[in-house]
Amino acid sequence: MRSHLLSEVQVGQVMKILVIEDEAKTAKFLQKGLGEAGFVVDVAGDGLDGLHLAQELEFDLVILDVMLPGLDGWQVLSRLREEGRRALVLFLTARDAVHERVRGFDLGADDYLVKPFAFSELLARVRSLLRRGPLREQERLRLADLEIDLLRQRATRAGQRLELTSKEFLLLSLLARRSGEVLSRTLIAEAVWDMNFDSDTNVVDVNVRRLRSKVDDPFPLKLIHTVRGAGYVLESD
Amino acid sequence: MFSNPTNSFRPVLRLWGTLAFRLAAGYTLAGLFLVSLATASLYLVLVSELQKSTDLFLADKVNVLRTMLRERPDDWDALREEIELESAARRYEQFYIRLLDERNKPLLMTPGMAEQLDLLQFASRTQNHPDRAIGMTGRLGRAFRVTSTSAPVGSQAGRTYAIQVAIDVSQKAALLARYRFWFWVILLASFAILPLFGYRIARHGIRPVEEMATTARHISSTNLRERILPEGYPFELASLASTFNQMLDRLEESFERISRFSADIAHDLRTPVNNIRGEAEVALARARSADEYRDVIESCLEEAVRLSDLIGDLLFLARAESPLANLRRERVDVGELLGGVREYYEASAADGGVSLTTAVADEPVIAELDRTLLQRAVGNLVSNALAHTPPGGAVMLGMGLDSSGVDYSDKDSSKPDFSTIRIEVSDTGVGIPAESLPRVFDRFFRVDSSRAQASGGTGLGLAIVQSIMLLHGGKAEISSQPGQGTRVTLRMPTFSTPSCAK
Repeated sequence: MRSHLLSEVQVGQVMKILVIEDEAKTAKFLQKGLGEAGFVVDVAGDGLDGLHLAQELEFDLVILDVMLPGLDGWQVLSRLREEGRRALVLFLTARDAVHERVRGFDLGADDYLVKPFAFSELLARVRSLLRRGPLREQERLRLADLEIDLLRQRATRAGQRLELTSKEFLLLSLLARRSGEVLSRTLIAEAVWDMNFDSDTNVVDVNVRRLRSKVDDPFPLKLIHTVRGAGYVLESD
Repeated sequence: MFSNPTNSFRPVLRLWGTLAFRLAAGYTLAGLFLVSLATASLYLVLVSELQKSTDLFLADKVNVLRTMLRERPDDWDALREEIELESAARRYEQFYIRLLDERNKPLLMTPGMAEQLDLLQFASRTQNHPDRAIGMTGRLGRAFRVTSTSAPVGSQAGRTYAIQVAIDVSQKAALLARYRFWFWVILLASFAILPLFGYRIARHGIRPVEEMATTARHISSTNLRERILPEGYPFELASLASTFNQMLDRLEESFERISRFSADIAHDLRTPVNNIRGEAEVALARARSADEYRDVIESCLEEAVRLSDLIGDLLFLARAESPLANLRRERVDVGELLGGVREYYEASAADGGVSLTTAVADEPVIAELDRTLLQRAVGNLVSNALAHTPPGGAVMLGMGLDSSGVDYSDKDSSKPDFSTIRIEVSDTGVGIPAESLPRVFDRFFRVDSSRAQASGGTGLGLAIVQSIMLLHGGKAEISSQPGQGTRVTLRMPTFSTPSCAK
């Protein structure tokens, strides 16, 4: 996380996020987690307070719960959009019926997340929303002595070529491209194998173990780390 | 009084609504119709028979007189005897005879005939119907049959007398009147008795139905055990009773499933919550090292993930059952999809020493399916197969089209093809005991609960597979040989045109 705290500051401005959430515990862990990830976070406990805050202050992103006392999430969103506020809006909802998602997007939401969600997932979505514009696609990724050549599909450690299958290469480059971020098993399964369901995620564990045996086992410095209950992260500390 | 006429009809309408009333009304009408028909036709027969015997008597008399006039025209004693005395001797069915000459001058007449009958009317009415008997009412109101005829006198032609004969039929008329009276009595009696009998018969006939209704009233979600005994009922109702009992069997079965499901869901939701609660409570009981706290929090996180997976699966099943559930159908190359799933599980299979292979058709099979859901269904099956196949075994993914008489070589065909796509996942694993097979698609059903729990599954995998198939208008089927392996077959319509396959 430290590396990301830096990267957020390096952009030159601190991103401001408004969390409108009536469930105190959820609001608390969102504020804490996002704050530790380098964002400035304000919290509103109901729809009306949230709307006022969003009207008075400039936020880059609003994280909006749908079920709120006072004004519900839909109403807050449509008021904001009526006033021409262009803040990004990420919906949190415990209901994930398709028509609700469609309604959210119709009203001008930028993304949604269904409760219960993994915090790492939320963080990934927030970052990709705030990144705005196309990602700078790098040709080479480097972390400690690991080097990945995305064009030629080659990876080396300490100059030594790693013999990877194509899926293993995809997995490694995914971890490297988002190094420092904890990637959930679901996210990995989706990105590498295009498997869009959350079942039997220990398949990911097996694949990570195989990748480790090639990337980490022969070397003293371990790069792939397991975050229990959350997923995997590639970092060099 | 007539302000609200519909009120007086209401009880009748309500009665008409009962089956017993309708049946009784039907029986009554049919019975009355038959009784009326029988008595009326008997009456008509009686009338015609009486008339016939009277007419024969009249013809007989006429014939006697004609013979006498022809054979012995001058034997006036015999004629007088025949005409004046014989009739006078009779008490019932008196008859009267008058003999007239050519100039209509009466020659002989039974005494009292002029008092009984209007002789002018007699002559004029019989004139139009010579030699035939007709009915006539006498001066005193008595009923008569009368006839008149002309008879040649002597052997040489030229002289003819007229014979007029009348017979008093008031006795017979009285008999018919009595008959009519009894006809109405019988009809009225039938009208009074038939509804009662009809109602009793109808009630007797529908009593089994009422008994079934009584049984049905006793049945509730808490008492599904009651059944109708099919013995002693007529065939039609016995089959109704057994149909009813089968329905109850199915209801009881599904209620049992629901209550099992509730018990399972309570267990599966409580366990992780209990773990989180207990671990947190114990951890907070006294001060611990950072590593210990980390361990507890990580464990809690694992339980929370397990819980949210379970909630996700349950919601998925609940949504799939809703009639509003909709699929996001897109064109899917099924062979490619199977290949993707195989790739995903390849490492796990290799890890467990199991070979994972796909047998894909040469020609691409394109179907309009929900890709994510189908991935999930096949993924669940492969994951199950791998979990239950010991090292050295094999898991095979296969597919095919069960065409419904459609010729695939006809590339110009632009008709939609509603053939069935078949996906098979078979393994050489431990298999499933026959008695468990019907329940494997049930929620939370585990063949070996202890082991499946340890392997981390929610016990909803196959239920989800089945509901995904149902959403696609298809079906999942399972067959298994314990010790030899299991095969799950998914069948669903393709909704695609093979000619469009790219």
